[in-house]
Amino acid sequence: MEIIEQIKTSKSIDNQTEIQKICLHKLQSSPLPNPKSELWRLSNKSKFLNFLDYSINEKDPKFDAPYPNTSKSNIRLIIGENCQINLIEKNYSIQHLSEDALVKYIKEQISCFDQNENWSDLLNLSLSCTKNILGLKISGSKIPPIEIFSHASSNALNAKTLVIFLEKNCDIDLLQVNLGKDNSSLSQSTFFCLEENSSVNHGVVSYGENKSNLLNSLNVIQQKNSEYNLGSLHFKFNYARFEISIKQSEGNAKTNIKGMQITKKDEQISTYTKIDFRGPNGFLDQINKSLADDKSHAIFEGSIIVPKIAQKTDASQLSRNLLLSNLAQIDTKPQLEIIADDVKCKHGATISQLNEEELFYMRTRGITLTEASKLQLSSYFQEIISFIPVSKDRWDLLDKLLNEN
Amino acid sequence: MQSKMKESDPILEVENLSASTDNLPILKGVSLTIYPGEIHAIMGRNGCGKSTLSKIVAGHPSYNITNGDIKFLGQNINSLEPEERAQSGIFLGFQYPIEIPGVSNLEFLRVSTNARRKFLNKEELDTFDFEELVKEKLEIVKMDHAFLSRSVNQGFSGGEKKRNEILQMALLEPKIAILDETDSGLDIDALRIVASGIKKISSAETGIILITHYQRLLDEIEPNYVHVMSDGQIIKTGGSDLALELEKKGYEWTDNFTQET
Repeated sequence: MEIIEQIKTSKSIDNQTEIQKICLHKLQSSPLPNPKSELWRLSNKSKFLNFLDYSINEKDPKFDAPYPNTSKSNIRLIIGENCQINLIEKNYSIQHLSEDALVKYIKEQISCFDQNENWSDLLNLSLSCTKNILGLKISGSKIPPIEIFSHASSNALNAKTLVIFLEKNCDIDLLQVNLGKDNSSLSQSTFFCLEENSSVNHGVVSYGENKSNLLNSLNVIQQKNSEYNLGSLHFKFNYARFEISIKQSEGNAKTNIKGMQITKKDEQISTYTKIDFRGPNGFLDQINKSLADDKSHAIFEGSIIVPKIAQKTDASQLSRNLLLSNLAQIDTKPQLEIIADDVKCKHGATISQLNEEELFYMRTRGITLTEASKLQLSSYFQEIISFIPVSKDRWDLLDKLLNEN
Repeated sequence: MQSKMKESDPILEVENLSASTDNLPILKGVSLTIYPGEIHAIMGRNGCGKSTLSKIVAGHPSYNITNGDIKFLGQNINSLEPEERAQSGIFLGFQYPIEIPGVSNLEFLRVSTNARRKFLNKEELDTFDFEELVKEKLEIVKMDHAFLSRSVNQGFSGGEKKRNEILQMALLEPKIAILDETDSGLDIDALRIVASGIKKISSAETGIILITHYQRLLDEIEPNYVHVMSDGQIIKTGGSDLALELEKKGYEWTDNFTQET
């Protein structure tokens, strides 16, 4: 209950937005997630409580993006800072969602929320003040790549919300970067709505600093003939959860996901995905990779739901994991829930260590064990990193990963 | 000719070497000395210890040396790491070259070559200079430049993998090359290309050990010595005619031989 009291005391009832009031009301009956539920049973309780331990902060200090140099043609937006954008060009437009449209959409989403499954979103929307919610409506093609940053402040709990509407036939590359700070918690919720024939290459890169925490949830609704490609990477958080929910609302849509989490020291990072096919001819190709070192813990739980209406679904979910230490732990559980009888669905999981014979081969060519391990890890990372849009930054990112302690 | 070779110091001396893996003895007292300019062939049935010997000389961490020494250019290398042995000039051509998905062949070759060059106090090569060098070496094994942009050995045919091994040998310029069944899986044309590559790379300063089952490689590269291994020991050593005799009579002929002293 403490977090709810904290939210309530941080602002008077008159200053709360309508959305905050609705979410707070919902949270009151479920002040903490159910630790016995499938989604939360492996979550480290003390780390999660540490997430909630920081005082709520709505004001951000000046932000110097440490993220690799952006290209001049990219559009860079920082949630919570000056996010005014109103671009109407020949081929495309990027505009703010009107407040009415934004509230209407979020309220619709909340009405479908399950208190336990969407606990992170409810918390986020209870915390997010208007300034920290960015809503965009994007249309057209040949749009410059967009980068959107969310960042935490030291010794504080920050919440940022992003809502994006892609109009019909729209096509974009969007990179979302979530940055933790020393001793901080960041709650990030993202809502994506892809209209017919729209397509997005969406990158989510989240990296923290010492003792930073992250609750990151992503809700995607795909209308027919849309294509959603997600490349994600989470690393260097004391505690992080990435919760992905994708609904192919009418089927006939394509989803490709390549995600990775890297844990070291005593970190815990988890990814939960729920892909819900609500019409026929849906397609999913998903691979999730975890790499766990030291005494860390990585978790992947994926579910694919194929009801009777979703005939001819073609879905594949693979979890590949690399365990670098005897004390590290990986839990993985890809699962299928199929009612339809004419579908092609497969899932699988592997856990392995660095390949000894590959290492020996490289060492017989004069490459040191450290370099050989780096080369091997680099090949493990590349499949995911090459899927993250905004190519200029990929190699800086790979470099950062390989040279992290 | 052989006495002339032996005027110089040996490149590699394997002295009474015994080794095991998981407490299972594999080598049981192997001795072998290679001088500059010499080509040695090692033959023997599957499982007799030929490949193990090559891996132990290269420093494979899964094997324990229980007795004996390996000396390279006069220095005992029993405790050196595989990369230290490679940097100092020992090359192992693999029977089954390993595929490394996601690591570009070009970058792999460049990093390897620079590791060796650094040891030789030669200037390390940047990507552009290395491209020039590798272009020249590709000619030796008649490999297409396109192989460089692919992942190491991934999707290569058996012959392409073996040519890639010889390309690495050409770039690393080793003092001694141990080629473990380099001829296996090669068609006649590929065998000729590989054999001609080996001959071009070898010199009066280098030594070569060919591990093989077949005479056909030795028709292309004539060895100075042929050794027959059985049950972790060298049981017979002779000239190139020993391989011809083996080809005719089979390994059964060697069953009654005991370890040579």
